[in-house]
Amino acid sequence: MRTFLTCALALMLTGCGTIFAKPDWPAAPETLTKECPDLKQVPETEKLSVVVDTVVDNYALYHECQAKVQGWNDWYKQQKNIYEGVK
Amino acid sequence: MWLIHLLPDGLLVWFVNVFLLLGILATLASFFVSAIPLLDKYRLPAQFISVILLAAGVYFKGGYEIEKTWRAKVAELEVKLEVAQNAAKNVNVQVETQIVEKIKYVDRVKWKTKTVIKEVEKVIDAECKVAPEALTILNSAAQNKEPVLTGEIK
Repeated sequence: MRTFLTCALALMLTGCGTIFAKPDWPAAPETLTKECPDLKQVPETEKLSVVVDTVVDNYALYHECQAKVQGWNDWYKQQKNIYEGVK
Repeated sequence: MWLIHLLPDGLLVWFVNVFLLLGILATLASFFVSAIPLLDKYRLPAQFISVILLAAGVYFKGGYEIEKTWRAKVAELEVKLEVAQNAAKNVNVQVETQIVEKIKYVDRVKWKTKTVIKEVEKVIDAECKVAPEALTILNSAAQNKEPVLTGEIK
């Protein structure tokens, strides 16, 4: 009886079949995962040149951060297109 | 047919075709059993078994054909996956290169600007004395805080 039930169960399952296949979402490039640093502070001074120097540093930090955000957007868009192309 | 997934293709083909052939031959033979006097009493069981064999053979043949279709689909999907994974790696390299180039450019502009500031700092500092309040306001903004001025505003 046990053998019959086992065979019947195996036979009932012969119709089952599934395929799971999708690409793994890739890891982001290391450059993108680094956080944007804090802005620099102006040291105590009376000189305008020192202030301008710090402002230039901070503008550069902003542009680097902007490049990273743009990079994230581009990376995500392209990876999403690739991922959806496989479905 | 998840059981069939586990078996190699060659073995499956052999098994399915032999089973089907056996079923066909047994069914045909069962109709001629009655012609042999000694075997006449086994006619009905022989026909019964041979029809079961034939039905099972057709069932397995159908199952094998479906399995073949699925294996082809899986193979096609695996190729697509590999292409996608390679494309994803290329995107990573391309984006990383672009960002590195942009950051290098930002750095270049920054150091060039600082050099220019150094060259003209005497001119910049000659006419202007920065009030401490300006530094407080700038530094608060850099920290994303509201400025708090201490002391008397002149």
